[in-house]
Amino acid sequence: MKKNRKLLLIIVFLTMGVVLGYIIINNGTKMFQGLNLLIFALIIIGGVIAFITAFKRDKEEKEGLTTDDELSTLIKYKSGYYAYMASMYMWLFIFLLKDKFPDTETMLGGGILVSALLAFISKFIVKQKLND
Amino acid sequence: MTNRIKELRARENLTQLDLAKLVDVRRETIVFLEKGKYNPSLKLAYDISKIFKSKIEEVFIFDNE
Repeated sequence: MKKNRKLLLIIVFLTMGVVLGYIIINNGTKMFQGLNLLIFALIIIGGVIAFITAFKRDKEEKEGLTTDDELSTLIKYKSGYYAYMASMYMWLFIFLLKDKFPDTETMLGGGILVSALLAFISKFIVKQKLND
Repeated sequence: MTNRIKELRARENLTQLDLAKLVDVRRETIVFLEKGKYNPSLKLAYDISKIFKSKIEEVFIFDNE
């Protein structure tokens, strides 16, 4: 695994750990109920997927394969474009429905989380379209 | 565009992984190429043809349809 990717993973997981620890210390387990539980579950699932992907790439690197080539770059560009367009509409709807959210933090946090989900979904769609 | 990668790879006794390593792409790219789901760049087409010691037009068959 490239050193900078390893470092990035460590930083991401340390940050997640510190934030989670801070929340638990200040709010106990009250935070992990209802909608919050769903949000935390999505974040953790995203983290696990990122971790698995990183290790898969590490394995490929050890086998002497490149981790980025012209097809993966094309998939990244296409899915990035779709995710960007979908995110723009999502933010538009979020601002139109801003009164439905309990507070600004929930609105922004939810928006960021859905943006990440859209990026994941668009990558999946681009790969599926390529397979058809 | 169709191609003869699978056939030529079998002739040279190469696995998809071997070919991917030789032309510096991911194995997934070779899979998509063989299925005809992806048209390679001129550089990749050239690199693959070089591995099989053939001309580009012998490996990749262009049709107008």
